[in-house]
Amino acid sequence: MLDIALTPMALTTKEFNAGDTVRVTVSFSYTVGINTTVRLLAGPYYTNIFGKHLVDPCVGRADVSLPAVSTPTPQTADVDFTLIPKSLGGIENGTYGLRVWVEGTNAVAEQDSVIIVSGNTGDGGDMFTSMMPMLMMVMMLGMIMPMTQQMGAGAEEE
Amino acid sequence: MELKTLALDLGLVGVLQDRIVSLAAGWYIDPLTGMRVFYDPNTQNFYTMAGGVYIPLGYMNPAPKQVSLGPGEKLKITISYKYSGPAISGAMERFCIGVYGTFGFNETLVGENTRSLPASTTPLSYTGSYTFTIPTNVGADWDDIYCKIYGGSPGVPQTLFGYENALIIVGKDPAISEFTIVDFAKV
Repeated sequence: MLDIALTPMALTTKEFNAGDTVRVTVSFSYTVGINTTVRLLAGPYYTNIFGKHLVDPCVGRADVSLPAVSTPTPQTADVDFTLIPKSLGGIENGTYGLRVWVEGTNAVAEQDSVIIVSGNTGDGGDMFTSMMPMLMMVMMLGMIMPMTQQMGAGAEEE
Repeated sequence: MELKTLALDLGLVGVLQDRIVSLAAGWYIDPLTGMRVFYDPNTQNFYTMAGGVYIPLGYMNPAPKQVSLGPGEKLKITISYKYSGPAISGAMERFCIGVYGTFGFNETLVGENTRSLPASTTPLSYTGSYTFTIPTNVGADWDDIYCKIYGGSPGVPQTLFGYENALIIVGKDPAISEFTIVDFAKV
């Protein structure tokens, strides 16, 4: 007997420039007792040791009308989101996951590391931010070293 | 709007007086399930025994199929049964949608037909049906149905049959499944 299990095809990684608008297409089945409208949201997310974090400024929204149906009915919908540049408070260059969900329901789909963002310019500010901890350490050492030398000199005088 | 249907078979319905005369207290074998059941003529009920306790035989059964329904849609319930005996007038066919739980069946939607059954010496088949329109205030737990035939002159014994979880009630909140990302691309 031939037994084939079909699984959703993984999304391929795509490259985008900061400022690009991305259109996401989703498919789903639904039932609802009355004509209603649901809000579809999509956006990039990054992952660190604290978990997954949406890049909120880039989250896009779209309203989707669902006619009343009592038997599961297939539906597709689109939602756009813009990769707002870092200089405008948006996304940094890097690799991100893609999450899409329907507000007020348990419908969520996501995949890690499918959006590569580049094209943010003027990263000087970012370099300074990333080097801040190191600069702080150097400055603290600069303050501590003279104090320890003075204490050592005092002990010799006694 | 699509009309959806459910069918139930109430089996053989006899005359109330005949049933009292024909069944004596004692153990019987249910011809449908092969299960041993005890009949008590005082309560006119069948019982099963579990752990030394006599339990009334349930009239609710697992539904052979489920029907999805939303507000404004119509559900047609059809019953079938057989009857032999004297002519009966004013027997009632009762159709109910509701909630079956620990304390019995809470009837939330009810429909009734009045039937007259002609005299017959051999079991004759009958069908009855009722069409419900699902109201806008339908509860998500109104998923059970039962039907019965009873009463009339001379009376038929109350015969019940029902299905648990026969309905999938579709409410005002959408239920979404198989949610997947098909594609994403620069616009």
